[in-house]
Amino acid sequence: MMMGKIIAVHSYKGGTGKTLLSVNLAATFAKHGKKVCLFDLDFRAPSLSTLLKIEKPEHWLNDYLNGTCEIDKVLIDLGDRIQNKGQLFVALANPATEAMREMSAKDRKWEMRALGRLLALRNSILSDRGFDYLVFDTSPGLQYSSINAIVSADLVLVATTFDRSDVDGTKRMLHELYDLFEKKTDLVMNKVLHDISSEPRREEMQSKIKEAYKVPLIGIIPCFCEVLKGEGNIIFAQERPEHPFAKILDEIAYRIDNNNT
Amino acid sequence: MVSKQDVLGKKPLHVLEKIRENLEKLNEKMEVMIELQKHGRKDIQPLPETPLDVMTLLSMPDHLRKTAMIVCRLGRATAEEIAQQTSRARAVESAYLNQLVIMGHLKKERKGRKAYFYVDRETQG
Repeated sequence: MMMGKIIAVHSYKGGTGKTLLSVNLAATFAKHGKKVCLFDLDFRAPSLSTLLKIEKPEHWLNDYLNGTCEIDKVLIDLGDRIQNKGQLFVALANPATEAMREMSAKDRKWEMRALGRLLALRNSILSDRGFDYLVFDTSPGLQYSSINAIVSADLVLVATTFDRSDVDGTKRMLHELYDLFEKKTDLVMNKVLHDISSEPRREEMQSKIKEAYKVPLIGIIPCFCEVLKGEGNIIFAQERPEHPFAKILDEIAYRIDNNNT
Repeated sequence: MVSKQDVLGKKPLHVLEKIRENLEKLNEKMEVMIELQKHGRKDIQPLPETPLDVMTLLSMPDHLRKTAMIVCRLGRATAEEIAQQTSRARAVESAYLNQLVIMGHLKKERKGRKAYFYVDRETQG
């Protein structure tokens, strides 16, 4: 059997759609029959517990990284929300202010151990428990928890937009961060306002982006008002499988499956 | 029975093979010497232990990062195992690993003829 993969979803700036992308990508994999786990590694601003409406789990991902519990205590089964034969689990970051403060004050030694515990997931989750994918939602920019996630991942999905400040920062990060770790990196161009409804226009944009960033492009996602109107309440991949946003995620998931970008 | 042709054909080949092997060994040794000279060996005292965290990895020179990343991933490895993944010579990896030990990022442990390098994630500090 093929060994599962760890995917880190990262970006230079905030607000590029990392969380929405992570949640929907994980849900899409599950929809395709895969066994998936979604990790909230954005300890500075956790959002998955709110987004997925999970009140108080017994253990947080914080506990696992602190070394006070094993990973199976943290995983929450979202099987009741999945219609298909796939399996979806989630591991949450503690959104309490106290926990956020504590996580931001960790020292290098702790961060090194945290990296060790993230790397260990390859055995405990992918090998032993037979997961196909682990999706890491991260904090934007250059900081410990995100870089730990990137170093542990097999593939980094970089969410970016055409926003001026995001473009330059993303380019820098591609060559001064991901390259240094020799990570396979794919770009997701999100919130695109241009008309890409026709094939020639889409192709033109694809080649422009590839030329500018010099990394593979795995998907272009137009700015959908319905997605924004959903206010994070809808997992499109599950609840609106016919929506173009869900369709694009289907394609991205298949490309990752086939290692083809 | 061995034909004359075989003896004549094989012997020089065998000798060439031996020469190549020896040259490779010599090359490895020289690479180590160059490496050690570059970083001025003898009077080096190991630096105080410094955790091998991601920011440290980021600030390292490329050649050392490559080695350090693999030790991070494997947890514990010999120079031979690292060399298999980096496609660099074992002796080169050995020099880099020892450098990382001197820098305080890795620990080294001998078991018989083998030397294992690892990231010490257990010690409290």
